[in-house]
Amino acid sequence: MNKRRWAPFKFLLIPVILYAIWVIAPIFYTIFLSFTQWDGLTAPTFIGIGNFVDLFNDPIFYTALFNNIKWLLVYVLVPLPLGLAFAMFFNRSLPGVKIFKTAIYLPLTLSFVVLSQIWTWIYQPKYGAINVTLEAIGLGNLTVAWLSNSDIVTYSLIVVGCWPQTAYTMVLFLAGLQNVPTEVMEAAKVDGANRWQRFWKVILPLLKPATIIAVAVTIIQSLRMFAIVNVMTRGGPFRSSEVLANYMYVEGFKNYSMGYASALAVILFLIILLFVSVYLYQIFKTEVEY
Amino acid sequence: MKKLSSSLIVSVLVISFVIGISLAGLAADKKKVVINSYMADPAPKETLKQLVNRFEEEHPDFDVTINTYPHEDYKTLIRTWLPSKKASPDIVTWFAGERANTFVDKGLMMPLDDIWGEGKSFEDYFPKAFKSISQFEGETYFLPQSWYWYGFWYRESVFDKLNLEEPVTWKQFLDVCEKLKENGYTPISIGSKFRWTAAAWFDYFDLRLNGADFHMKLMKGEVKYTNPKVKDVFEKWKVLLDRGYFLDDHTSYSWQEGAKFLFNKEAGMYLMGQFIQDVVSDEKVKKDLNFFRFPIIDASVPIAEETPTDGYMIPKNAPHPEAAKEFMHYLATQQSQWFFADNLNRIAANRNIEETNYGPLVQKGLRMINRSDKVTQFYDRDTKPAMADKAMDQIVKFMVNPGQIDQILQAMEAQRKKVFE
Repeated sequence: MNKRRWAPFKFLLIPVILYAIWVIAPIFYTIFLSFTQWDGLTAPTFIGIGNFVDLFNDPIFYTALFNNIKWLLVYVLVPLPLGLAFAMFFNRSLPGVKIFKTAIYLPLTLSFVVLSQIWTWIYQPKYGAINVTLEAIGLGNLTVAWLSNSDIVTYSLIVVGCWPQTAYTMVLFLAGLQNVPTEVMEAAKVDGANRWQRFWKVILPLLKPATIIAVAVTIIQSLRMFAIVNVMTRGGPFRSSEVLANYMYVEGFKNYSMGYASALAVILFLIILLFVSVYLYQIFKTEVEY
Repeated sequence: MKKLSSSLIVSVLVISFVIGISLAGLAADKKKVVINSYMADPAPKETLKQLVNRFEEEHPDFDVTINTYPHEDYKTLIRTWLPSKKASPDIVTWFAGERANTFVDKGLMMPLDDIWGEGKSFEDYFPKAFKSISQFEGETYFLPQSWYWYGFWYRESVFDKLNLEEPVTWKQFLDVCEKLKENGYTPISIGSKFRWTAAAWFDYFDLRLNGADFHMKLMKGEVKYTNPKVKDVFEKWKVLLDRGYFLDDHTSYSWQEGAKFLFNKEAGMYLMGQFIQDVVSDEKVKKDLNFFRFPIIDASVPIAEETPTDGYMIPKNAPHPEAAKEFMHYLATQQSQWFFADNLNRIAANRNIEETNYGPLVQKGLRMINRSDKVTQFYDRDTKPAMADKAMDQIVKFMVNPGQIDQILQAMEAQRKKVFE
């Protein structure tokens, strides 16, 4: 009996050790580095909270932070409901539904780098698909340099991110919908609930587990966004599309300010932790039963 | 079927591993040299490989290995090799000037003063002007390989059609711009998405207006960016921007995309390094390309040009320094320098190669440099990375918002203070 009780821990041992070495330890090491000045060549020197003081006086830090908030807001407002809508629509057996499902899912299978490259061409100001189309249908005055107008560049990038993100939430919701018991749905129908009522009063509450995951993933994705920004604009023009993750990368690996980059990482870590824990706390406070 | 193929793969791996070990055993008594290289583009990579092959043929007792890394990754990775006693290669490819000095300063590099052969010195191989970018605190640390020049590239057929001459003075340059514009060309192309193309403009205005000495002081953080002389740079540049001579939406384009506008005759000129020739796919266009020197603005300022130079260094922790030095000697020789330059259309650093060996365009570049008084590397090679990163943002910002010169100068000055004080 005793042996049995310990069995799961033996199996867990290796993953736990790996997790500790590759995930937990680097987090603490990064926190340590954030209090140092380090060029990656010589030993780090301890400078207290100097990096954080610099950070809070750094205009690029605020640009990046606000851009991350834009990413967060749009990500929660667009791909999430859109993914749910697609999931609701596709959750039935109609002819051809699988083809459409696959078509919408497809961008998720592409690497972000490939996706970004494709969209860079679509956005190209002179020969890109969007501007050429606008010209062709007589809306030439609406053409913009999508990636070099500092007022709209961040939104141009977010659109690119929304594409696979919608597919992602759709898959999560589709999986969630499989778990909605048909008995409950039929009971609601028999009780005379219309479609709208069935959606709001039955399906949505039962989708809660899927929604929790979808929202948490959406928040995390939007805050740690790196690939699209790095490939499409590298944060430019003049840092107007910068986000925290890319700024961290540039400071650490291009400017060799490892301490400063670590401070950025710590801040990003805290922001994500805050959002996710507040959200999860709210969710788990009210567990649904049926 | 699947099983078969996977067992096939495993056996191939095992066999090649065994062969690898036995080959390594054979090579055990040879003198080993390990080179880490950032020459990842096909042409330079192949050239270096051939150079090594030639060396090994002449010196059968040597075993030289090249490890190639992508250019951008290399700049990060080298920081992990240099301090390490175990991971350090024997030779690294690197950049002359401030970037080399960064490592020398930290005591990570080995002096090369004994590689020249009996009774010979650095100056027997390289021009005097290269001393300032290769020697630090009186000792040579950097072995220059090859360099290239910057200039205004244009298409001869366009200049011929409009009856334009290569401009020499600022006034003539403005006339050329105006004429190009009148005839429906965008006078100046640039792709500033990755910023450094704009930095070339900043460098040249500073070199032409304030001279190389002032420029290098600025690069070393000894002069404030709020100095009126720096403001002059932007004011002069603003003239071109106000007249609409630059390509629209240039922050959308990489430097290669910017070059396309020149190649397909939508734009007239492009301030760029010699390597612009590497990205022309059409031979007809390549033959039609020519360049001229950045125009002289103030004739009383000694002429300076940008000549980014690449080469080699030996890390302090190199496991086989003696063998590495023998190979470095080979890299400095006339034959090997010529082989490298000739294959890639670069200019060899070795001074003993006759000008007439080169093609006509390279000769023109070489003459241009020989007639200048000073050379510099490039903005992001001459100043510290953290300074270059933030300043290049401001330079591009200026190109888009030329009215904000004062804020831009203040932002640059704030970064100078942070980096240098």
